[in-house]
Amino acid sequence: MIRYTFLLLILPVLLVCGIGCTAANQELATKSMEESETRVYEVFGMDCPGCHGGLEKLVKKIPAVQESEANWLQKQLVVTVRPEVELNDEDIYDAIRRANFTPGNRIK
Amino acid sequence: MKRLLLMVLVCATINALISENASAAGISVDAGLTPPEDRWIIRTQFRYMQRKDDPTPMNQKMDTYAFPVVVAYGFRPDLTLMIRQPVKHRKMSMGGSVSRETGFDDLFVLGKYKLYRRNTREYTFGIASTLGLEFPTGDDDFGSETWDLEPGLFTSWRSGPWASDFSVAYKWNGFADRGKNGLNPGNELSVDLALAHQFSIGEKADMSLTPVLEFNYKHILPDRLSGHNVSNTGESLFFVSPGLKFTKSSFILEVLLQFPVWQDQEGSQLKQGTRLIVGTRFMF
Repeated sequence: MIRYTFLLLILPVLLVCGIGCTAANQELATKSMEESETRVYEVFGMDCPGCHGGLEKLVKKIPAVQESEANWLQKQLVVTVRPEVELNDEDIYDAIRRANFTPGNRIK
Repeated sequence: MKRLLLMVLVCATINALISENASAAGISVDAGLTPPEDRWIIRTQFRYMQRKDDPTPMNQKMDTYAFPVVVAYGFRPDLTLMIRQPVKHRKMSMGGSVSRETGFDDLFVLGKYKLYRRNTREYTFGIASTLGLEFPTGDDDFGSETWDLEPGLFTSWRSGPWASDFSVAYKWNGFADRGKNGLNPGNELSVDLALAHQFSIGEKADMSLTPVLEFNYKHILPDRLSGHNVSNTGESLFFVSPGLKFTKSSFILEVLLQFPVWQDQEGSQLKQGTRLIVGTRFMF
């Protein structure tokens, strides 16, 4: 009986904490997304999903890059820049070339 | 001396009868142009090959199960190094008796160099040269016991979902030495063409399913001994090979069936049967 009472007491506390933490995390993530910049580059030469990983790996090695996502069908690379860090486009173009692809225009 | 020569010839003939030397590469040979710099690729395959329809009264049949493991690394955007080590299991039936053997085949090292690559919005075209060296490291029953050199050329064309790969390679067996009992294994010419159409899966295009059709031709010259061709060695093979490939950003699963639509063996040799290849590639 004592065990159930304890559970009944602790459960709402955990729920409130969980919701609170999730909301706080979401707030932080949104803030981070707001602060980070997203760039989109054209990439020529990717011909299958297997090409994504190789390019993303090289782009993620650039310290200013927070996240990168390639799409062979759209011929695009989406790069999320770390907040308050400078990213030179030439570093991205260099990574694209080292992945054996050819950089096109910066779309965004 | 004559008796020794006769013994060697008999051994060579039996060896030729049971050989599964004709490894007509499937699943687009070594798959693609040079990968990105700092890219690791681990490729494993299961290959089933059979030899059957013995023209001699010995009534032989042979099943070979090969497990090649390949590790490739992109040192530079234009240079890739690849190491292949196959393990083989062979089941040989002769009359009523069956024998089984398992062992390592020769270690193969291949360098691939990008000669030309053009990426445009409409298409990608590339040419790469390859140079392979096979070391005589295999077990007695599987290795060739010779140093073999294999130069080759690979071209690739991609346009939208369509892809075609063409490769030609010439394997110079025993370029620096002789094999067992002074026997020089016949050189091999391989010509492979692969056509494919890719179907993208998912909104992010991070998966695809690709039906493949390959045409694999192999010509093996007869073995040589003391300047003469050894009888019952040498053959030409032509496979038509449909297959399917599932691709993710770091993983590929591939299956290929090789049908021997035409073959021409010198003398009395076992015929090639249908082959199966199931393979995976992990890329990181």
